[in-house]
Amino acid sequence: MSDLSHYDIIVSPVITEKSTMASENNQVVFNVAKTATKPEIKAAVETLFGVKVTGVNTLVRKGKVKRFRGRIGRQSDVKKAIVTLEDGQSIDVTSGL
Amino acid sequence: MQVTETLNEGLKREIKVVVPAADMESRLMERINDSKDKVRLKGFRPGKVPTAHLKRMYGKSFMAEIVNEIVTHSTRNVIAERDEKAAMQPEVVMTEDQDEAEKILAGEQDFAFELKYEIVPQFELQDVSDITIERPVVEVADEEIEDQIKQIAQSARSYETKDGAAEDGDRVTLDYLGKVDGEPFDGGKAEGANLVLGSGNFIPGFEEQLIGLKKDDEKTITVTFPEEYGAEHLAGKEATFDVTIHEVAAPQDQELDDELAKKLGLESMDKLREIVRDQVQGQYGQMTRQKVKRSLLDALDERYQFETPEKLTEAEFNNIWNQVTADLERNGKSFEDEETTEEEARADYQKLAARRVRLGLVLSAVGEKAGITVTDEELQKALGEQLRRYPGQEQQVMEFYRNTPDAVNALRAPIFEEKVIDHLMEEVSVNDKTVSKDELMADDDEEFGSSTATGGDDA
Repeated sequence: MSDLSHYDIIVSPVITEKSTMASENNQVVFNVAKTATKPEIKAAVETLFGVKVTGVNTLVRKGKVKRFRGRIGRQSDVKKAIVTLEDGQSIDVTSGL
Repeated sequence: MQVTETLNEGLKREIKVVVPAADMESRLMERINDSKDKVRLKGFRPGKVPTAHLKRMYGKSFMAEIVNEIVTHSTRNVIAERDEKAAMQPEVVMTEDQDEAEKILAGEQDFAFELKYEIVPQFELQDVSDITIERPVVEVADEEIEDQIKQIAQSARSYETKDGAAEDGDRVTLDYLGKVDGEPFDGGKAEGANLVLGSGNFIPGFEEQLIGLKKDDEKTITVTFPEEYGAEHLAGKEATFDVTIHEVAAPQDQELDDELAKKLGLESMDKLREIVRDQVQGQYGQMTRQKVKRSLLDALDERYQFETPEKLTEAEFNNIWNQVTADLERNGKSFEDEETTEEEARADYQKLAARRVRLGLVLSAVGEKAGITVTDEELQKALGEQLRRYPGQEQQVMEFYRNTPDAVNALRAPIFEEKVIDHLMEEVSVNDKTVSKDELMADDDEEFGSSTATGGDDA
């Protein structure tokens, strides 16, 4: 158990075409802290949004190598969580917390 | 859109317009659908943004735009539908309450606003053909022209050096050094100055004392500066001038002949006469026109009696009032000096303002009916005249007119007015009446010209 608080686990909602499509399957997508685990994410979403979570899938998108003014840099890795909610429940991600 | 009238009193109107929330909503949807393919949002390909998301992002600002649109557009439509003409831009009153405004923007509440305006009074254009106007015309007398020519001749006259004493009318060339209390003062010194005796260009007494002097004479003359002299430190003081005469020249008689005309750059005396006559006549012509215009306006004023929109009158009155008070201030006078009180003057100018507005409305109605318009050419001409007044600043002036449509309107108004007057002049019967010069010049108490066709034009 890390000592991250719930607010530190969930970084931001992901609002994209893909995430909107996911919302049709009762799923919500968040950017989460790199160190967050699935149980932590589940707990955070349940308490913060007051919903019941049936499953959490995570993925880490590796940072890309980018050049800026000829110098090579690296974007940081991003961890996303696709949270499946129980039937009939929803989160309005765009309205914020 | 529901329109209800809440006040109908005289020329004043108040109208309440309600746009139901559903209407607003549908307009908003239209708007969003319209912009759907244009917005580029991160995370979405163009045209793939869900409507709900768009609405959440831009709903408020779209709604504000819609409200704005409704207010500007519908005011005109509403008034046009009622078959009325607003005298001025209607005043729009919307809710002041923040919460309520929020709700309207969110599309949850009906959007209601009030329009306050005054209508242009309806009046029948009357036939003007039975108006008779006297046109005072001045026959330019031959003597007057001769007088004018003599004056011209005098200014072109030549002088010839003579021996002997200076007489009245002679031109002397002299040096002088002026002293007050034995001390020379500023501007009291000149060398080789030309002075025509009897011309009154110098301090009273100075020229008279030069009479009788000859070439190379020296003399000290004593004069007293007048009490009302331009330079304060000299006013009322006694001064001495040491004068040395260099030359005395007598005026040559100037014959009124072709010679004179040639000197002035003209072919012959007849030509000169012609030009002078034209000039004099032109001056009288302007006076005549002013007079005729006034009596025409007077006649119109008598015929049309109707209530004038308060706001217009108010605006006109403020204009006049500002001018009057500024004038008084500049001259350092008060109303007491003009033998009137502020209240009286106010009442007078109120009446004047009402008259101007009324005439402005009548003139614009007449002009509209007769299809009188101000062409671009005429406007350009007027603009050109304005430009000529500010040499060196043409660019700025042009810029000013380009950016302020009101100013262009102000240019257009007098042209329009003149054209309407011309048009009316053709319809009314005008009697020529020969009057003397003095009768024509007799001053009218106040120039009641209207120059307010502007008010009518806005309508």
